[in-house]
Amino acid sequence: MLKYSLKRLLQSILTIVIILTVVFLLMRLLPKDGYFTDEEIMKLTEDQKYARLQEQGLFDHPLKQLMDFYSKLFKGNLGYSIRIQKNIPVMKVISEKAPISIQIGLIATLIGLVLGVLLGVMQATNKGKIIDKLGTAYIVIVNAVPPLVYYFFIWVFLTSWFGLPMRLKIGDYKSYVLPILAMSLTSIASYALWIRRYMVDELNKDYIKLARAKGLPYKNIMYKHVLRNALVPMVQLIPASLLLTIGGSILIESIFSVPGMGSMLISAIQKKDNPLVQAIILLYSIMGVFGVFLGDILMVFIDPRIKLDTKGGSR
Amino acid sequence: MEDVNKLTDQELFSFVEFNASESEKTGSSDYSYWKSVVITFLKNKMAVALLIIMLSLIVFSFFAVATAKFEYTKIFRDAKLQTPNSTYWFGTDLLGRDMWSRTWYGTTISIKLAAVVTFFDVLIGVVIGCLWGYVRQLDRFFTEIYNIIYNIPTTIYLMLLTYILTQGFWTLAFALCSTGWLGMARNVRNLVFMIRDREYNLASRCLGTPLPRMILKNLVPYLVSVVILRMALNIPTVISLEVTLSFLGLGLPGTVPSLGQLLAHARTKFMDFPHLLIFPTLIVSVITISFYLVGNAFSDASDPRNHV
Repeated sequence: MLKYSLKRLLQSILTIVIILTVVFLLMRLLPKDGYFTDEEIMKLTEDQKYARLQEQGLFDHPLKQLMDFYSKLFKGNLGYSIRIQKNIPVMKVISEKAPISIQIGLIATLIGLVLGVLLGVMQATNKGKIIDKLGTAYIVIVNAVPPLVYYFFIWVFLTSWFGLPMRLKIGDYKSYVLPILAMSLTSIASYALWIRRYMVDELNKDYIKLARAKGLPYKNIMYKHVLRNALVPMVQLIPASLLLTIGGSILIESIFSVPGMGSMLISAIQKKDNPLVQAIILLYSIMGVFGVFLGDILMVFIDPRIKLDTKGGSR
Repeated sequence: MEDVNKLTDQELFSFVEFNASESEKTGSSDYSYWKSVVITFLKNKMAVALLIIMLSLIVFSFFAVATAKFEYTKIFRDAKLQTPNSTYWFGTDLLGRDMWSRTWYGTTISIKLAAVVTFFDVLIGVVIGCLWGYVRQLDRFFTEIYNIIYNIPTTIYLMLLTYILTQGFWTLAFALCSTGWLGMARNVRNLVFMIRDREYNLASRCLGTPLPRMILKNLVPYLVSVVILRMALNIPTVISLEVTLSFLGLGLPGTVPSLGQLLAHARTKFMDFPHLLIFPTLIVSVITISFYLVGNAFSDASDPRNHV
């Protein structure tokens, strides 16, 4: 177990290093305007701009730049925000925005998990009946239609029908309802889809037939055997989706004006605040890698049948 | 017993006349793969209905763009934010532009983008997937590449890429293709990996079946269902990503009235003028849901195991 975890951890770290390098190289291609504030672009002459860029090391040999980047990274210095909040360390700007994203993400994932598993179980136990069909219709709609479409419908129609606020205000809990609802709609559908699929797969296995032939009550079979086994592959998905919702769904934050990380990434991109964009992208990538890593570890932890030495898990 | 021995061969055995319908009963059937696919698909009435709706909607969108009364860029200053009426069938937007022509133009843009991206995703995905699955030495290499890209959230990656590149149709298509082939390749790889060493392939190889025939007759029928399913599901995904990215200001440039741009432009007016929201979203929903369901139905139909 420990050996496997360590090996996977090393693998993930290697992946992160590669991603960091790729992101760094892509960042060198960013528009150069993004290194100045608006006034500076107006006032500074071309020579002054060039000198400033050179001062920041942007014309050095790429390898040297890469080394500088890593040494700064190890000291926890990701640079300073240029336009969103002038000359404030990027990490400080992010840590101010993170709590609201984390709150909403956690609640939405929790709701999605509970309702999603519930819906999936209901569908699998009533396979082919009306509940199953309605559930499938819901899953198809959520998966096929662009999320923006139903987010907008929630935003426009639910606010006027239930008199809920359109924009999120920190501390006003009524205004948290819609973003959380929008976010959990998607996760309910994906959890329900997986649970149903795994349960139906499991139901067709021989040991279930034996259990039935032996005369075990249906409920017993469903909850003690089928659901438990179906939860195993689900568990692998949870950390990744949790970490991503915590990071803040970019669309939802931008529609409901949630002052979180996702909406900050958008404004950072629109205002061309390069250091901030870089830091947020790095953060999201690292969260993505760790989500997958935690999922693999958790699955091995929960299901003793999974062999520890197989490469890469069952992705 | 003696009687039998005395009889001549002619008396014992006689030729049966050839009867085509009788021979069908035990002999080989005239099974044709594609015919069975079509027959199985046609049995699914809902899928057929959706396919017809979807195709006519696509054809109509091009027709509507060609015959629209007003140019999609033309601004009518005295007709801002009109609700649907006999002149402006879908109303007008904030600047007084005809929503009918803009909506259908946006639809054609989305369809073109989805078609281009899906074509390249499938092309690259199948070729790389086959290599990945067939050539053992390449397995490690492609798996590592897959892990790296798979680990980065798609939206983040696309945002970064579109931020760096200049906005435009082909830029967006390139960005979407650069991640899109991955899932396809992974899927094809897993299938090829699974089927490659099955007994029937081993038998074929031993009997000296040439490689092209092996691939076309033994492997492709198994891949077709997955490739088609992926293709059909890819189209809603591409449309969604375009809508998302354009809404965030990172997809197509603001001058192109794609579906994402239409929604982004009018977002402040939805409360008072719901027609700005309803027409574009209705069309995009019908198209994406149809593709999704028709794709699922067709992939079921193209699986040889579902044929009678």
